[in-house]
Amino acid sequence: MMRRAWSRGPWKSLAFVLFALFARVAVADESALPFAKRVDLTPLATIAVQADGRLKCLSSFASEMMRVVSGPRAIADQDPLFTYLDMLFHPKAYREADVIFVKSAPSRVRLADALRRADPSAEMALRMESFEASGLISEEFLSQEAVLAVLEEMQVDLVRSAKVVDAIESALRVKDPRFLLSRLRIIPRGDGAMQRPWHGITTVIIAEEQASALDVPVQAREAVAAAWKQLVNGWLEGDATMVSSAATALAAELRSIDPNGYPDLRRLQWEHWYFANDHMTKTWIVYLAASILLLLGVVWKWPRARTAGTIVFALALALHTIAVLLRWYIAGRWPNSNMFEAVTTAAWFGCVAALVLEYVSRRSAMRSFFALGAAVSAMVALMAAHFLTVQLNPDINNMTPVLHDVWLYIHTNVIIFSYVLIFMASVSGALYLVHRALGGAASYARVGGAGSLILASPKGTPLEAGARAATGEVLDGVTMVLMELSFVLLWTGIIMGAIWADHSWGRPWGWDPKEVFALNTFLVFAVLVHVRLRVKDKGLWTAVLSVVGALVMLFNWIVINFVITGLHSYA
Amino acid sequence: MRSTTQPIAKSAHSKPRRVVVAVLDLLSNLKFGIWLLVALFVYSSIGSAGIVYPEHWAIFSADSWVHDQVRQWRGLEMTEFEWFHWWPFTTMLLLIALSIVVTTLRRIPFTPVHYGVWMIHGGILLLIAGSFVYFGQKVEGDTPVARRKVVAEFAVPQTDGSVTNQRVEFVASPGQRAEIGEGSSRVNFEVRSVDPQWELLTGADKGKRAYSVTVLVERAGKRYLRQLLAGYPALTEDLLITDDQAQPIKRAVEELGKPISDESMVLSLEYTAQRWFYLRNDLAKSWALYVRLKGTTKWTQRPIDGLPLYNDCVAQRDDVFQLESDESLPLHPLDVRVGAFAADDPLRGVDLRVSGYLRFAVAQTRVTDGGANAALNPIASVTVSSTQTKPETYRLVAHDAVASKADGGVLRLVDLDHEAAFERFTRQPSIVVRIPSQNIEVREEIRDVAAANPNAPFVEIMGAPPNASATGYAYRVVNVQDSIPIAGGTVAVAILEVKTPQGFFRRWVFENPTLTRDVVTPDARDAHGAPKLEDDSIDIRFEPGNGLALVVLAHGPELGRLRLISAVGATPAIHEVAINTAIPIGAGVSVKVAEFFPRGRFETKPLVVPRLQRSRDAMETFAQIRVEAAGAGDAQWIPFTRWVFDSAQEALRRAPFEPHTLRLSDGREVEVLFSRQRLPLGSDVALDEFVLTSHVGGYTGEDSTIRDYRSRLRFRGDGTEAAWSEPVDVSVNSPVEHEGLWYFQAQWDPPETRPREGEVASAGLNYTVLGVGNREGVHLQLLGCCVAVTGMLYAFYLKPIVKRRRQAGVLAELAAAAKRAGLEGRADEGGAT
Repeated sequence: MMRRAWSRGPWKSLAFVLFALFARVAVADESALPFAKRVDLTPLATIAVQADGRLKCLSSFASEMMRVVSGPRAIADQDPLFTYLDMLFHPKAYREADVIFVKSAPSRVRLADALRRADPSAEMALRMESFEASGLISEEFLSQEAVLAVLEEMQVDLVRSAKVVDAIESALRVKDPRFLLSRLRIIPRGDGAMQRPWHGITTVIIAEEQASALDVPVQAREAVAAAWKQLVNGWLEGDATMVSSAATALAAELRSIDPNGYPDLRRLQWEHWYFANDHMTKTWIVYLAASILLLLGVVWKWPRARTAGTIVFALALALHTIAVLLRWYIAGRWPNSNMFEAVTTAAWFGCVAALVLEYVSRRSAMRSFFALGAAVSAMVALMAAHFLTVQLNPDINNMTPVLHDVWLYIHTNVIIFSYVLIFMASVSGALYLVHRALGGAASYARVGGAGSLILASPKGTPLEAGARAATGEVLDGVTMVLMELSFVLLWTGIIMGAIWADHSWGRPWGWDPKEVFALNTFLVFAVLVHVRLRVKDKGLWTAVLSVVGALVMLFNWIVINFVITGLHSYA
Repeated sequence: MRSTTQPIAKSAHSKPRRVVVAVLDLLSNLKFGIWLLVALFVYSSIGSAGIVYPEHWAIFSADSWVHDQVRQWRGLEMTEFEWFHWWPFTTMLLLIALSIVVTTLRRIPFTPVHYGVWMIHGGILLLIAGSFVYFGQKVEGDTPVARRKVVAEFAVPQTDGSVTNQRVEFVASPGQRAEIGEGSSRVNFEVRSVDPQWELLTGADKGKRAYSVTVLVERAGKRYLRQLLAGYPALTEDLLITDDQAQPIKRAVEELGKPISDESMVLSLEYTAQRWFYLRNDLAKSWALYVRLKGTTKWTQRPIDGLPLYNDCVAQRDDVFQLESDESLPLHPLDVRVGAFAADDPLRGVDLRVSGYLRFAVAQTRVTDGGANAALNPIASVTVSSTQTKPETYRLVAHDAVASKADGGVLRLVDLDHEAAFERFTRQPSIVVRIPSQNIEVREEIRDVAAANPNAPFVEIMGAPPNASATGYAYRVVNVQDSIPIAGGTVAVAILEVKTPQGFFRRWVFENPTLTRDVVTPDARDAHGAPKLEDDSIDIRFEPGNGLALVVLAHGPELGRLRLISAVGATPAIHEVAINTAIPIGAGVSVKVAEFFPRGRFETKPLVVPRLQRSRDAMETFAQIRVEAAGAGDAQWIPFTRWVFDSAQEALRRAPFEPHTLRLSDGREVEVLFSRQRLPLGSDVALDEFVLTSHVGGYTGEDSTIRDYRSRLRFRGDGTEAAWSEPVDVSVNSPVEHEGLWYFQAQWDPPETRPREGEVASAGLNYTVLGVGNREGVHLQLLGCCVAVTGMLYAFYLKPIVKRRRQAGVLAELAAAAKRAGLEGRADEGGAT
């Protein structure tokens, strides 16, 4: 009974998890809610704004701008679009509030120390404690003399801390209502000229005779101005109904100016949905569930957990696939051109590869291990994308000219595919090490990786199969399958990069740190291949070196990107 | 894999043979090979990342990390490229190559099972061979190509009746100037503006856009603008500068009925031919000195070997300035001889010596005390603070007409010979008007000038008390110039607009009344002719007083005594000045003299930028070297310049032309530039057009709105007689090849709408920077890589299939044999390594 009840359980809990992930809960009593919750900005969220050479939906643009101010933190649990407009209409309210995000933890300590010295009260100590934890500080504090002195000191150190000060300055600049207003380029051109800028809202409200907006028909200009004024008045009076109706009118007006040139409403709506749901990075929770189930399945050889785990994994992959496809649709290009896209797409590649490998190894003892490795990798990747939004910026922006090349899609994808396989190999390698630490035998896959799958016995059973296969043998086999694949892909990816670099930078190989560490990762695997020929305890060496390889790969992704920047600094 | 070679009987061979065998054994030892790979890993990690470790758990922010590039240490001083071409690295690579060769030949049988390993090893050998070819011949650099130059040709009649033809060229870049001729036949040119996207309004190509250059021509007292359009010489036209306030610039074709107002002046746009490219300094260091005798135009390069790149080398701290807060620079003398290199070096036999190097420095001029014997030269450093604005610091030089004033003349420093001169600076400048016929004399302080306030009212001259009615005379002061330098000193002048019952004129009223003259014709800008009064019914005198300065610092007559006279209040306030003491002068403003030297002396040296303030992106831009001519005392710090131009007329924006002059012991003067080595391109390259494409909404000044940069190039053979080739486009990711060299789109000339002080705005796109390089051996490298990939696929995925087939064959044979023998065959699961 228990077993059966449980076996249905996952579906229910899963349905609940999904519901909680992507659905918004409706609340019954509206009047008791604050203005932020009562006002309905949905019509505005899906209008287009022209920014940085793109037409974005206003809500994604607002979240991008608010990320400059508050980093990964949501201010007062508000929707970024609401915060954007509120900051514009009530700038004073945001002066004393802790809204500016300081990314660097060491810098937070320096700033907090300065403020504590200036004001040794307990209240200040409390606020600084919360600042050090959350990274959020008020403009008021940042303009105190003690802080200004520290900031000036930090700015001098161009090598390390000047970037932190730059980030604070951009946050302050963006927070300025004049900036917020000037960036609202939401009025399409009346003449449909795509290579010329859209108009800002100021061109219709400040000066009616402003020549720059003359391509927009007079009635449209007046209607937009009227709707905007209504929006502002409603906002200042806290009248949610007035704001909502103004938002609807404004959106309709803006769409009617140049209906042919206006971006597709469906795309804008999806973009809004995608950004409102954290770019679907919460899928990490589903991957976590899959990882737990699969781990239970492979460690205790529990078939139901194994099956459930595989199904949950497939479901996570389905959600992940939707996220990747959606981003492709919104951006108009395959997502592989910034850190966020590289990490999430790499994880997706790993999961797809795991699915194929699961099929190939369905009758061998290696089954479920690939899914497990992929689930763990994707979970880590999506957690990073979800929580480190400053480092892995999810905004969709134009690529620099140098990235516009077919080799971007070939080289980058092959490389990131190999990287995720390296990470997956380190998962099975780490499991092997745990297995050995718990007293497992020094076994290893006798015919290497793919060989053990291909070299099936005449009866059709793979070599590492069934109950007879030792756990160590299976884990080592899994590591080797992944390692061999990543070995070939990494080498191929490096060559493809060289082909691209040859016609892009003028040299196939420039000893750029990123290149050297890709080569270093390859060297680790070359050592592994040769060490396996030589040592007795092949399983242990393989596991250790696969973990070392993954560390070198992560070093390349983290330290080379954030500390030692080179030519590859945009990816 | 176990060794397949047989153990060798030691006694069987001679000693040399035993050594060879021992070496071969070592090279085919797998452990040795693995250690080589590990050594390569360690070497590359150190060279690429150096020492790097986190100081703080927040590993995602750069300031949590300690980072030190080992290869940049003093003593190593290597670029990435140099580190990876150093002998330890090449030795390691050669050992790996040898190890692969020996191991493969001795220990890996050439059988289908091992084809994969053979291919991987063979591929890697090809790659290593290709890389030796590639890196052994690699040259890589960059070169700027300007879009057009303006060529001016005109005839100058000589005194003997003959005519000489003059020609001058200058790059079409906003603010670029050229001048030619002396005295009255002098002609000045200045590029006033360039519009890379000028829309054609007439002609067959109406609506198209062309590159438009507007040049200001000043010739024989006349000034006009000439607009030139690249590719449309027929559309050249002049724009006349008029005094009409409503329309100061008028088209010649409308005013004169012809497009060209001065037909004897021929201006045209031509391609600029680039012949050189400059080697990148961050591959192998490529420092070079360029020398030429003063007065000549051709530069000769002298490569500098042994100059550092990353570390400062200074022999004495006196050679440089440092910030007080900066740690004291360690002393590292440098002595690099730079001898003649080229056969046509004009200074063969003259060695130059580099005795100092600074990675990151800017020239700074400081004032020091010249000592008791130095000439009197009062110099003050003054800080003005107010409650409203940021404090501003000014440096004032009393004996310099321009530098004695600051902030538009509000602040000035004067030097007094005698106490009587002091009184003058306590007074406002005044105008004294006399109208003798009506017996009127009025003295009025100047409070408002039209140059600062265009709405400044006219001062009506009223009649003498009995009949105090308007006289019909009125004046207003346009501007006051307190110290205009003229031959033999300075003069003070007030420029007035005067209304009389008869009319209106301008009068330049000098402090010395004999110079005062009227200016009636509006375009006669020249006030140096003979004094002439158009209207002598009104006599005007000018008393300069403090010259409209709000704050005058007066030095003297006693040495070192400094007084401050403030005209902020209703009556002048006088303060004795103490150094570093703020003096409030009212309205929340205070003045502080931070430094004062009565016998000041200027000293210019490079200011060493503190380590932490050095931007990594700046590369070698702020480098300086100290160059000495052997045997002579003359030593100079010379800043780095990216490219070498023959003259200032060829220089591009952001790449100024500033040669330094060095005096040799024999008295000759040598011009020197510090740059990078250059190589000939082998053909001339010209930039026909530069196109910037943008994303939706157009280019807004943000880089993220740029889609692509495209340079349309033309080539021609070495020698100006050949014709230019058809245009070819170079854009990002899309290079072109010309005679063995590849041309890449590298940098561009961005617009500067808010230029730095002293520069004019630019719409950009006036030049391109191309990357230039060769790529010998890439195909061998690529072949090697592909062979290795094939080998990997074979070894990992085909070999097991080959083995399985073989196994199946063996098993089938066994089964058949067993059947024949009537025995029970037992297929064993077995694997092989």
